[in-house]
Amino acid sequence: MLNLLGTIAGNILSLPGILGLALGMTTRNLLLASIMGAIVGFAETLIFAGFDMSNVEMLELVISMGVGLLAGALGCAIRIKGTTV
Amino acid sequence: MTDNNSRPGFFRRIWNWFWTPTAVLSAGFVLIIGFLAGILFWGGFHWSMEMTNTEEFCTGCHTMETNLGEYRETVHYNNHSGVRAICSDCHVPKEWNHKVKAKVMAVKDVYHELMGTIDTKEKYEDHRLKMASQTWKKMKQSDSRECRNCHNFEYMDFTIQETRAAKEHQRAIDNNMTCIDCHQGIAHRLPEGYLDEYKRVVDELAMEEAPKPLETASADTDTVRSYLKQSTQKTSGD
Ligand code: HEC
Ligand code: HEC
Ligand code: HEC
Repeated sequence: MLNLLGTIAGNILSLPGILGLALGMTTRNLLLASIMGAIVGFAETLIFAGFDMSNVEMLELVISMGVGLLAGALGCAIRIKGTTV
Repeated sequence: MTDNNSRPGFFRRIWNWFWTPTAVLSAGFVLIIGFLAGILFWGGFHWSMEMTNTEEFCTGCHTMETNLGEYRETVHYNNHSGVRAICSDCHVPKEWNHKVKAKVMAVKDVYHELMGTIDTKEKYEDHRLKMASQTWKKMKQSDSRECRNCHNFEYMDFTIQETRAAKEHQRAIDNNMTCIDCHQGIAHRLPEGYLDEYKRVVDELAMEEAPKPLETASADTDTVRSYLKQSTQKTSGD
């Protein structure tokens, strides 16, 4: 349980959370924003695993893609709510 | 907005203000302010995180006194060169996301300090095996990543190591072993039955990781082919 919370927090405060949010804020398209976020999550896990799929923990991959996806969606919501363009 | 009975509540007004486009600030002004605030926030965040990595902070809690005493008698505290490893060097990863994770998980330490789970010598010894085993699990899983921040087989001069050490380290390289496989108790006293417990931890991890090769094999036809070849050879060899 703690392990899970720790992984989620780690992801929010690193690339998936922050770059995901930033990328999400570049578009008004919710789907695109979520996909970009999820890609960041995927990329980060892969980078940390040294580009070796056999080193990738399934749970970690799912969490970081999930966090990226949510961050992207949140970024998109901020864009829609906070801008006129 | 008029001050009539339809005036929205305090938080509602803040919320609305927050999202209203500004007419007085230029985009550049907002960006620069945001940039500066970002630097200040991140710097402050990082700084306070590093504060929790100091020896004083780690041993500020009563419950860590036992470990502190033991560690003070080891080479990582006091040695001829004066280069040291402190608690966080061995127990907190350097990589950002692993570090955040470790810090979040350490919240349980605060809880147990408050609850007094290990606040006497006896209680500590009761829990030591379990705590040590959690540490071993992490180190085994990460291939002793924290030790390797300072030590590295590649730069060890085996000719000036003791023969026993050099021989064992060659064996470790050949068999893909990791530091903690042999160096348990490098900084603290070991509880009774530690070897059995360590073996259990390693076996458990091996069990968890067993399905992995199959998963990757299904993604890569070449591995499947060589895997099959191997297993047919094995059966025909029998
Ligand atoms: C912050 C750097 C650092 C980290 C992290 C670290 N060490 Fe060390 N270690 C040292 C230094 C420096 C020495 C040598 C001290 C001296 O003799 O001058 C040392 C010495 C040793 C020795 C020799 C002991 C002896 O009695 O001569 C062993 C064994 C060892 N370390 C194992 C480990 C293991 C296992 C880990 C991981 C749990 C680890 N170290 C983590 C810095 C580190
Ligand atoms: C196969 C078991 C084994 C493994 C794995 C292993 N060591 Fe050792 N190491 C030993 C033994 C045995 C000694 C000698 C200890 C003694 O004589 O007290 C030793 C000694 C050392 C020393 C002191 C050398 C000297 O001559 O001063 C250091 C430093 C050290 N190990 C670091 C490490 C590090 C770092 C790792 C992981 C990268 C590691 N060891 C992995 C068995 C091992
Ligand atoms: C050289 C690396 C190293 C340093 C420095 C170090 N530890 Fe450890 N620690 C370990 C290892 C390895 C274990 C796993 C148990 C074992 O092998 O003794 C461990 C286990 C523990 C445990 C689990 C209970 C136990 O006694 O096994 C606690 C608590 C702990 N350390 C606290 C600390 C504190 C507090 C400090 C600083 C005063 C510290 N450690 C410094 C390597 C280190």
